[in-house]
Amino acid sequence: MKPLKQSKLVSKLLLRHRSNNRLWLSLVALFAGTTLLLIAVMIWWNFSLILNGSANNDSLGSTFLTIGKNVTNEMMGKKNATLFSPREIEAVSAAPQVEDVGVLIANKFPVYASLSIAQGFATDMFLEAVPERFMDNKPFGWVWEPGNTQIPIILSSDFLNMYNYGFAPSQNLPQLSQSTIQALAFDLTIGRGIYVEHYTGRVVGFSDRISSVLVPQSFIEYGNKTFAPTTPIAPSRLIVKVKDPSDKRFADFLKKNDYTTNSEQLRWNKMRSVIEAVASGTGLLAMLLMGMGTLVFILFIELTIAKAKQSLSLLLLMGYSPRYLAMFMLRRFVPLIFISLGTAAIIAIALQGIMAKKLTAMNLTLPDLPGIWVWAALVISTAALLTFVSRAIFNSLKGND
Amino acid sequence: MRLSIDHIVPIPMKDKIDEYNSRVWNQQLQFNSGEKLFIQAPSGTGKTTLVHFLYGLRKDYEGSIRWGSFKMHDIDKEQLSQLRAASVSVIFQDMRLFPELTTWENLEVKRRLTNTVSEYDAEKWMDKLGIKHKMDSPASKLSYGEQQRVAIVRAMLQPFEWLVMDEPFSHLDHANRQRAISLINEVTEMNKAGILLADLDDNDYFTYTRKLLL
Repeated sequence: MKPLKQSKLVSKLLLRHRSNNRLWLSLVALFAGTTLLLIAVMIWWNFSLILNGSANNDSLGSTFLTIGKNVTNEMMGKKNATLFSPREIEAVSAAPQVEDVGVLIANKFPVYASLSIAQGFATDMFLEAVPERFMDNKPFGWVWEPGNTQIPIILSSDFLNMYNYGFAPSQNLPQLSQSTIQALAFDLTIGRGIYVEHYTGRVVGFSDRISSVLVPQSFIEYGNKTFAPTTPIAPSRLIVKVKDPSDKRFADFLKKNDYTTNSEQLRWNKMRSVIEAVASGTGLLAMLLMGMGTLVFILFIELTIAKAKQSLSLLLLMGYSPRYLAMFMLRRFVPLIFISLGTAAIIAIALQGIMAKKLTAMNLTLPDLPGIWVWAALVISTAALLTFVSRAIFNSLKGND
Repeated sequence: MRLSIDHIVPIPMKDKIDEYNSRVWNQQLQFNSGEKLFIQAPSGTGKTTLVHFLYGLRKDYEGSIRWGSFKMHDIDKEQLSQLRAASVSVIFQDMRLFPELTTWENLEVKRRLTNTVSEYDAEKWMDKLGIKHKMDSPASKLSYGEQQRVAIVRAMLQPFEWLVMDEPFSHLDHANRQRAISLINEVTEMNKAGILLADLDDNDYFTYTRKLLL
């Protein structure tokens, strides 16, 4: 006679009455719940990655913002009303998410630029300076000391664009490339009346970050001291390094103080609220589904054990140990839990890969694999589920003698 | 393994225990390993109750029962299963087979638990008791006599130091009983085990070392 496998016999005795429909239902709920949970965590995690600017996600806008005071009708008559006082600067540094604050100092003296090779090209203009740590690129030759006649200039890319796409076509002027501009030397006259000084200005670079005409800080300081010693030197604009510009608290701070910013960064805070709502909604639904799945799974196990009560008692009578029978049940059902949770994990990995690929096309970099938080969610939910299930099995078996 | 019974009284019989002239209830008894005991128990004296106490199925008694170092009142479930699987085998009056399993499956459930008896021996013993041809029949379809023989073979399929029997031959004719006794003697000898048989009437199925009236 063929020897029979012990597990097969025990299975025949204990699992004969099981309801496969309930089992499948609970496994599908567990799978769907876990998948949703992982997706919710992934949405949240990926979005934080993009916003916190880890990886190369500068295209979403740098985390540097230029802020100024909103010019209102009441302010228009008042001189210096848009300047920032030291106390206000301090308040900005202490604002939520702000990591560093720099001041943009403007010239308090007249600047007149002309182009000697193009007669008739002449304009009054302004200059600003910003601490070097806030510049997106510091070009070679970015220094000025009193006595130097050459002044390096960084121009906002926006200005060149405005010229090339707005001004030049309308005036029938040639469009200029960045290198052409850099090759030109401007004559800069600063001061008024007989107190004037002449310099040669040269564009050495372009900035995406700061919408201005930048010169080294030492030059502005020198000019303001020399030509406008009595005018208070207070910044009218601040440049701020912000950790997460989508933080609502930061946006609220700006709104409360009636500050304006040149960046579109803040639109992310609306997006963030939406994403957070979606992620929490999905997470909640996931928890609900997982809870229901776990409940049905536990009920299935308890019912299976209850239906096999007679066989179970007889097995214990034969000398089968409660631990052996509990382990037998666990060995039968835990793999099913792992399969449904594992499938959810595979789907999460695949989704992350697809998402990373799609976003590469939009110049956003995301990791190809889900991050630690997604794995943590998976491990925690698996552990919780295993605890519940094993407790249910041990408790149900305890009821039998 | 020594069996010690110390003044056990079933709680339901507590009030009228003095009416019985029992040599077991409320007595101090010690049985050495290898002993062959017969407990004669007329109807209603608590024969099955005693067997259930000994096997750890019921605990509603006063006094104590010890199998070696195991005190039955305090034994935990894991220890109890260990005792049942490897030290004390039992043949119940009501057989207690799995009705949904075949004869062979019923035996395999027991044999596979310890894997100490070969499949060959199991088949040989079935043959000896004349139930080999019923191997594939579901236990629910067997006659009482056949079920009793399956229960007897099943009790042999584990290592044991004591074999406890409750009216083990009640459904067997003389010939079948003799074959069963011979098998039990053979396997008990092999295990160097003791036996405790409880039955209604006096008998000499085995060479008892002690006979007690319940």
